[in-house]
Amino acid sequence: MPPLNAPEEGVPAAGLASWQQDNSSTSYASYAPNMLSELPELGPLPETPTSSPPAPGPLLSPPASFMRTTRPRRFSNISISSVAATVGSETQSACVGSTRDLTGRSPVLLINYQELQYESEVDKSLECPICRTPFHAPITTKPCGHTFCSECLLRAHQLRPVCPIDRRPLDVERDFCKARVIHDQLDRLRVKCPSQGCGHVCARELLAVHYERYCEYTPVLCPDNSCDLWIARQDAAPDKGCLHKYTPCQYCSKQVMKAGLEEHYDRECSGNTVKCAQCDSSVVQHRMENHVANDCPSTVVLCKWNKYGCGKSAPRHDVQAHEKKPCIYQAIGRLAQDREDDRLIISELKVRLSAAEGRLRVAEQEKTERRERKRRQAGNTNNTMPPFVPDLNLSNSPRAAASYNNGTLDSPEDYMLAQFERMETQMEDLRKNIHELDGLHSMRLLNDTMRLNEQIAELGSKVGVIGMHTTWLMNVQRQSRGQQRAGGVVGSPLSSLASSSGGPGTTNSATGSVTNAARNAPDNEGGRYYNSSLPLRRNSDGRGENPPRL
Amino acid sequence: MSYSMEDNQNSAPGSVPATKLGGARKGTEPGLNASKRLQTELMQLMTSPAPGISAFPSADGNLLAWRATIEGPDDTPYAGLTFKLSFEFPSNYPYAPPTVLFRTPIYHPNVDFSGRICLDILKDKWTAAYNIQTVLLSLQSLLGEPNNASPLNGEAAELWDKDPALFKIKVMDRHKDIEEDE
Ligand SMILES: [Zn+2]
Ligand SMILES: [Zn+2]
Ligand SMILES: [Zn+2]
Ligand SMILES: [Zn+2]
Ligand SMILES: [Zn+2]
Ligand SMILES: [Zn+2]
Ligand SMILES: [Zn+2]
Repeated sequence: MPPLNAPEEGVPAAGLASWQQDNSSTSYASYAPNMLSELPELGPLPETPTSSPPAPGPLLSPPASFMRTTRPRRFSNISISSVAATVGSETQSACVGSTRDLTGRSPVLLINYQELQYESEVDKSLECPICRTPFHAPITTKPCGHTFCSECLLRAHQLRPVCPIDRRPLDVERDFCKARVIHDQLDRLRVKCPSQGCGHVCARELLAVHYERYCEYTPVLCPDNSCDLWIARQDAAPDKGCLHKYTPCQYCSKQVMKAGLEEHYDRECSGNTVKCAQCDSSVVQHRMENHVANDCPSTVVLCKWNKYGCGKSAPRHDVQAHEKKPCIYQAIGRLAQDREDDRLIISELKVRLSAAEGRLRVAEQEKTERRERKRRQAGNTNNTMPPFVPDLNLSNSPRAAASYNNGTLDSPEDYMLAQFERMETQMEDLRKNIHELDGLHSMRLLNDTMRLNEQIAELGSKVGVIGMHTTWLMNVQRQSRGQQRAGGVVGSPLSSLASSSGGPGTTNSATGSVTNAARNAPDNEGGRYYNSSLPLRRNSDGRGENPPRL
Repeated sequence: MSYSMEDNQNSAPGSVPATKLGGARKGTEPGLNASKRLQTELMQLMTSPAPGISAFPSADGNLLAWRATIEGPDDTPYAGLTFKLSFEFPSNYPYAPPTVLFRTPIYHPNVDFSGRICLDILKDKWTAAYNIQTVLLSLQSLLGEPNNASPLNGEAAELWDKDPALFKIKVMDRHKDIEEDE
């Protein structure tokens, strides 16, 4: 489990050490069961069936998006070692609620990480030298230290078993290991959701969750069991039936699949554009709302950092220029966004943890029940079984369970028991990771907040100084006006200076201003202090004695 | 191992690209990944061009066929000359090398009269980490340092060492700028 935060100064050393150790101990083998078993499907040339549904007429070529696709087979060969790894994704599939999970096909179209659109700038060092996109599930070669996406490297390795950079011979089993150091940077890259129609942008780490659970546009299997096509999740309600039948378009009367209507409007429909009132471009009628909300350069919008204090509001193209400049609130906005991501990631982890705990509880219950039953059975038969029972009771560690499993009793229950043990240790790991993460997170929060507090205090004192300057200037002006009104009756040069710091009686006669001058002498001194940028506290002291009136 | 593990699972190799649904026309083309990678390369060539080389997809919009030029390096018999090349990319590029040909006739020990090139990185020494730019740079350096041990043009290989002056004359004779459409 990689840390979700970049190791920074101030990070507890213990946390760092533990994951580094973890890193070194995790060999390529932990990747291997999944990657290698699925790799053959990859082939040098992905088999993309070009057979399309029979087109009803010569005009009709179905949108590419609804082509038949080979669906990835999953959960097909669950070995003992891979069960542990699939535990997590099984719950996710369950959430999707497809009726066909058990057939071994994934109910949602999987994310292709090489096709993602990145919103944040990607550092060159995070790009895979083979696919030239930010690493996905990076692995590093042990002898030469080069890093690639696991998919890219394995595919290249299948063709020639050497490092693509320096041609050093590499062995799959021995020479690959997970590249964990950069995971954190990769996880934080902001990406667009790949579902067509969804504009969601989030940290890459969170993309899978959004895509598989929440996104309304994720392609899922058509609810019609006889249909083998994909459809956006929001259209996949069973009562809607299969939306892959052809109907005429209401605007141009071309035959279109219901599911492809939106795409048809966007790409080819002719009878359907209107002019945007604001920017004069012509837009598909169905997209007008979206155009005004998201694209139109003339719509007045807020700066994207407005949540964090920027008050800029202007037509979109101006705001875009302003954001690029960049907006001075960008720094603080980024910080806050990172924090937001952290929070989301942590809450996601918590959800997974509690789900795992729930499963564990059920499993433990079953375990004790089974133990009870066994004991009773053993009591009933009164035979040679008893030696095993104490064994079972002591089997708290996975090793014990495993050895038990290798022993004479080879029933499904024993297998399940071993699984429970494994799950228990996994839970423990997960809990530890979350603690670590919590520590890291609060540490970072503390560091950042301290810095911000200092900056805010400094800003506050500066505002105080400016306030004092303003008061002083206004008083000078008021006083000179007062002098004019008093018909040129002027006190001593001292008095004019003194009353400038805010004497109340400037509209009065000369005598008034003289007495004020006497009273204001200490205040004036204070005024000079403010000019040398003293913090706010001083300010209120001065006002307490003689409040300046603006 | 929880988190990252799942991440890999969800997108294990062999997964169907999610954007099959989104990327309208590209969806069913076999060279999907190749096109994607070539697009990235095009971007990089345009944003940070290397001196003396250039490359662009051919005009018909097919990303799997490119035209390129290299300038002969100084201090070689090819100084001041420009050579056109063609690239044909297989659909599993970059896992397989492109086919590169000289379109401008060139007198060189490792290039034959139809423009075929004998260069190891375009054959058995190819790796997926090579790209158009590195290939062009390699070709440029091949102009200055031919591999005379395995020549396609034996006469050129001999002359390279024995008679540089005659070699230069042959180079200039052979260099005729022909148009794209042969
Ligand atoms: Zn890659
Ligand atoms: Zn290497
Ligand atoms: Zn989405
Ligand atoms: Zn259908
Ligand atoms: Zn239409
Ligand atoms: Zn508009
Ligand atoms: Zn702003």
